[in-house]
Amino acid sequence: MNGGLRVESREGEQMHASCQTEVEVKHGVGLHARPSVTFTRLAKSFPCSIEVAINGSDLWLNGKSIIKIMGARIRKGSLLRIRAEGILAEEAVRALKGLVERNFDEEKKHGRSA
Amino acid sequence: MVAQPKLKATSASPGIATGPVYVAQPMPAVASPASSLSGHAALGDAIDKAIRELRDLAAGTDPESREIIEFQIEVLQDPTLMEMVGALIDAGENIEFAWVETLDDYIRELECAEEERLQARAVDILDVKNRVLSILAGAPIDDFPAGSIYVGKDMEPSRFLAHDWSAGGGIALYAGSAVGHVALLARSRSVPMVIGAGQFATEKGQHIGIDGESGIITLQITERREQLAPPDHRPVGMVSIADNGTLCTADGSPVLLAINVNAPNEIDAVDAATTAGIGLMRSEFALTSLGDAANEEKQFEIYRRLLDWADGRSTTIRMLDIGGDKPLAGLAEAPSLRGIRLLLARPEIARVQARALLRAAVFGNLHIMLPMVMFPSDVDDIRQIYREESGELARRAVPHRIPPIGMMVEVPAAALMLDEFESADFFSFGTNDLAQYLVASPREDADFARYQVKAVPAVLRLLTQAIKLAGSKPVSICGDMAGDPSLTANLLAAGIRYFSVAPAQLPAIRSAIVGLRADGTKAAGE
Repeated sequence: MNGGLRVESREGEQMHASCQTEVEVKHGVGLHARPSVTFTRLAKSFPCSIEVAINGSDLWLNGKSIIKIMGARIRKGSLLRIRAEGILAEEAVRALKGLVERNFDEEKKHGRSA
Repeated sequence: MVAQPKLKATSASPGIATGPVYVAQPMPAVASPASSLSGHAALGDAIDKAIRELRDLAAGTDPESREIIEFQIEVLQDPTLMEMVGALIDAGENIEFAWVETLDDYIRELECAEEERLQARAVDILDVKNRVLSILAGAPIDDFPAGSIYVGKDMEPSRFLAHDWSAGGGIALYAGSAVGHVALLARSRSVPMVIGAGQFATEKGQHIGIDGESGIITLQITERREQLAPPDHRPVGMVSIADNGTLCTADGSPVLLAINVNAPNEIDAVDAATTAGIGLMRSEFALTSLGDAANEEKQFEIYRRLLDWADGRSTTIRMLDIGGDKPLAGLAEAPSLRGIRLLLARPEIARVQARALLRAAVFGNLHIMLPMVMFPSDVDDIRQIYREESGELARRAVPHRIPPIGMMVEVPAAALMLDEFESADFFSFGTNDLAQYLVASPREDADFARYQVKAVPAVLRLLTQAIKLAGSKPVSICGDMAGDPSLTANLLAAGIRYFSVAPAQLPAIRSAIVGLRADGTKAAGE
């Protein structure tokens, strides 16, 4: 019983982390409705807290809120900082950065619907 | 032939009706204000339902529409949105208004965005806002079968308004009041009604008859008798005279005759050309829940419909006269707060209505009337709200116009001081409330009808004085006294030249006016 608890806590320590990254929005039209939906849905799939800040701003916005993300008016060329804290923080940051780099999977979506 | 058992009650609305009895269950106690905890739960339920509705919608649609719906669902699931609404609910705000306030802020933000694509999202958020709002407001009112005679202790105005009276039917109340709001509604829709019958026993399915003239209730009517009895309770002698409500007294003084409207569909049966327009629209009878009061779009549609019908004729819409004996479902306030007092205490309610009225004003000859005004500062404070909302609409490039703003004169404190109301553009006398406050009797009181009759001389004297104090400002009368032909002479003598009455009273008041001189004396030869 005790051993089991120890293992869990050790795993928790490994997974519970704080993580941050920076990524430039290179393509497309920035984070309007559709890319915002994609971004916040991915963010919400992680149990950690996720926040974003634009172009060196100190204002950290809830990355799971479509209103905040869309309202941030993230345009082409914006520098997006993404930080996460909690369980799976590292994976979350990696996944979200990947999504921005893939231009929010917009082209893929277009390709599919075309 | 066996004599049918009859009961003597009191007439409240003329006409004869027969039909199967519907016995109302006692009215539930007024719901206590929702705790913040249940507020959160109610909102959560409404949002879940909205999401389910949207998912159903998305199922059979094209990819583009699906994307819009996905976006709307994501907004509904936005955690910061919920935090903001939740904080307002915790601060004591009603769920509906907490929801509307939060979403409206966001809609405004989007509308003012530089990017066209962000601006275009405002309408999606508006859609989301209204969907949840209509779910929150969707507590269905317990209706009863069309054509039946409603029997109960009393009846709620919302229940009257939700019922389809086109198949006939009537109302028989154990208690009730001839000057209460349901009686007022019944008269304006020509639904026969009797009150004060005392508790009487009826069985389900039993047919009864009521005579709204004599106040007689006939129990145990046979089916055969029922067939013989005319179900017609429409106003008789409704001759259409397309004079646009502009008549002349026998000695040639012009007098305007307009109608009072409660629910917007009441205008369907009236030809606008027989009236000078709408002298009073009681918006509280068209907006029967807090959800309606929060719903700017629904209000805008209602006001627009009235203005379209009036086709350029003057249309006076009274802001919500709620509180006191006209509670609004879902809103619990101190009983002393009613009319303008309540609107100023809860400016979020006034602001939604102000926006809807400002936007509708573009579509016709709108006048806004303020209920239960007591002091000049009441009008100033509401004007300030209109100025602010107008500025906000201008910023959002929404077409609108500030129409003339007038006031009801129904509180003695205002009637005595009309010369002090510089910021009111016009006055309209509400004689039911004026009489109520002059004789210090609640209008739902069984004795009030008696007091009201005895108060007529006092009301007339106050009117005569107040009209002098009004100076050059337009004055009209829209209370029950306006629709009573036996008082037309007195009202003309007092100086009234603009009458607004229930549509059913149009012919009677029309013929009363043309048969009198402007000073109220009978024309020669009568």
